[in-house]
Amino acid sequence: METVLHILALILLVLGTALSLIGVIGFLRLPDVYTRLHATGKVSVFGLVFLLLAADILTPLATWKALLLIFFVLAASPAVSHAISSAAYRAGIPMLGKRDDLKGKLERGKEKDA
Amino acid sequence: MDAILDIAVWVVLVAHLLMFLIAVYRVMRGENAISRLAGYDLASTLTIAILVIISIIRANVFFVDVAIAAAALSYLSTIVLSKYISDHKVF
Repeated sequence: METVLHILALILLVLGTALSLIGVIGFLRLPDVYTRLHATGKVSVFGLVFLLLAADILTPLATWKALLLIFFVLAASPAVSHAISSAAYRAGIPMLGKRDDLKGKLERGKEKDA
Repeated sequence: MDAILDIAVWVVLVAHLLMFLIAVYRVMRGENAISRLAGYDLASTLTIAILVIISIIRANVFFVDVAIAAAALSYLSTIVLSKYISDHKVF
């Protein structure tokens, strides 16, 4: 039983680190603020949650605290990404994409102010 | 099995430290304020991840408490900074 749990924790650690690495590479390579936010979401949701599940198995007494932190991260990280992208739109950071669903609904500032 | 797990945890810690350095470099050399703010958000998330890995290495639940406090503080500071950058006022 112990060995099975440790193998599961090892798989969770490697998977979380690989997904975090994919997110950071995307954060370096993608051209735009909005697309970069798409990459950083992977780090906070997949990487951190898999690491916390591994800590749940490996660290003694960590069960409910790690579950609380998973719940908090899953609630907070989409809100943070949405706040940053909304701030980027309102500050007038240029988008590479053609389609703009918010045109005329939110006012955009000049990019120089940001 | 435990030896493999020990080595894997240390490799994971070094990988997260390297990713943290990349994020800090992006905060220093970002092209605009929002890009730096996204880098700051990434760096704070990786800080929480590093604290969780240290709690695995030391087998001590104390670092998870510190990670919860760091998560709450980084959430609030990122929301407030994005509002300040876009609207030029906080409240």
